[in-house]
Amino acid sequence: MNTLKTILSGFSLLCCLLVSAQKQDSPAELPYSNKIELRDQALEALFQAQVHISLEMAPGFHLEGEIRNKTDHGGSVVSLLIQVESHPGGMLSISRYSDPKGHIHYTGHLMKLHEPEGLMLVEKDQHYYFIETQQRFLVAE
Amino acid sequence: MKRSFSHIALCLLLMIQIHSSAQVPILNSYSPADATVYLDFDGAEVDGTIWNQEGKIVAEPSGLSPATITWIHQMIADHFKLFNLNITTDPAVYERAPVHQRTRIIITPEGNWYGPVSGVSAIGSFVWGDDTPAWVFIHALSDNPAFIAAAATHQIGHTLGLQHQSAYDSYGLMISELSGGENNIFSSQAPLMGIPFYKAADWKNGHPSTGVQNIQSDTAMIAGAPNYIGYRKKGEGTVTGDNTVKIERQDPGSLALNSPGNYSYRLFDISGRLLTQGILKTGYNEIPTSRSSSGVLVLQWQGESGSGSEKILH
Repeated sequence: MNTLKTILSGFSLLCCLLVSAQKQDSPAELPYSNKIELRDQALEALFQAQVHISLEMAPGFHLEGEIRNKTDHGGSVVSLLIQVESHPGGMLSISRYSDPKGHIHYTGHLMKLHEPEGLMLVEKDQHYYFIETQQRFLVAE
Repeated sequence: MKRSFSHIALCLLLMIQIHSSAQVPILNSYSPADATVYLDFDGAEVDGTIWNQEGKIVAEPSGLSPATITWIHQMIADHFKLFNLNITTDPAVYERAPVHQRTRIIITPEGNWYGPVSGVSAIGSFVWGDDTPAWVFIHALSDNPAFIAAAATHQIGHTLGLQHQSAYDSYGLMISELSGGENNIFSSQAPLMGIPFYKAADWKNGHPSTGVQNIQSDTAMIAGAPNYIGYRKKGEGTVTGDNTVKIERQDPGSLALNSPGNYSYRLFDISGRLLTQGILKTGYNEIPTSRSSSGVLVLQWQGESGSGSEKILH
């Protein structure tokens, strides 16, 4: 009986360790498996592109794709939808908006429906990152 | 002959058009609010969003009657009566709403383009500013109006940034991503962001699907950043009928209330943290508040004869 208890306790501890091993210091408070810091101006470059995009967003993270849709709500909010070829079938949805103080912010996601993981754009200390997280935290049923 | 035929065809088309648009009653739950949720019952063509990975989506009209739509709208609106948020069926109201404070919920029979689910949404899309809609697929809900209202409320919650409320065991391991209120089998309540279909469902403070170490206060998240919706001002459209619970007296650590009926009640602080809950009986009631709770509190009550909420300066 004691052996069973020991095994169960050990198993529980292992499970807890596995759960806590997933990083969770992201600004979006989502557990994530990878964090990519984007180059300064990389996001703005997306909004300056015409149709085709080929851009080094971060060291080792090259974005290749085509703009499928661009919506401009009077300049205060501009949204882009980019079909990303470097992540086959994936779509990058990204918006640029200015807050009441005139500061520019970006929000966005890169995902392919029904894939296990996707990327979410987050801002921390005036830097932008893509965090790789489970897609169920980005799209829910 | 040809000309007459054209006229008849044109008239028929016009009648069909008028008939189909007349199917959806124009409803607004709280017109003063800028932040808007548009319930789209009459079909839509969607393109240029994250949902269009296989091209344009044509969503059929829901086919629901005006009476059913009105009932569903009321059920959904009831869940948001605390907030400075308008639930509308009017596309013009949606178009006028700030792009960073609006979402459209397309309520349509089928979602074959996505899969066999009752609905889907992009979490936090309310503030994306790109008009990404959320979806409710009513055939997957047996066309049951109560289920449709619950599913739509659940999807609206996702667009406002809410994750699922989940159930965890005592070791912190997830039992179920969607909590059905099973922590207490005698409870008749379930979280709206869990499985809201078989019990009386409401917003909850609980552990979300992102981990047992996190606490998600649904109401605080809806009202706060990045949605910045806030709560309704005192006395603005928060009470149905004349079933108002009146505040008789406020003391440190307690509130004296006069209730016109038997109600369950919940008391929150301004951040949406649940302070206490219980039952109000007809007549005089005294309910406890934390001695440290001061500032603005929100009292919600709900019973057979109605429901309402009130902000209290405590």
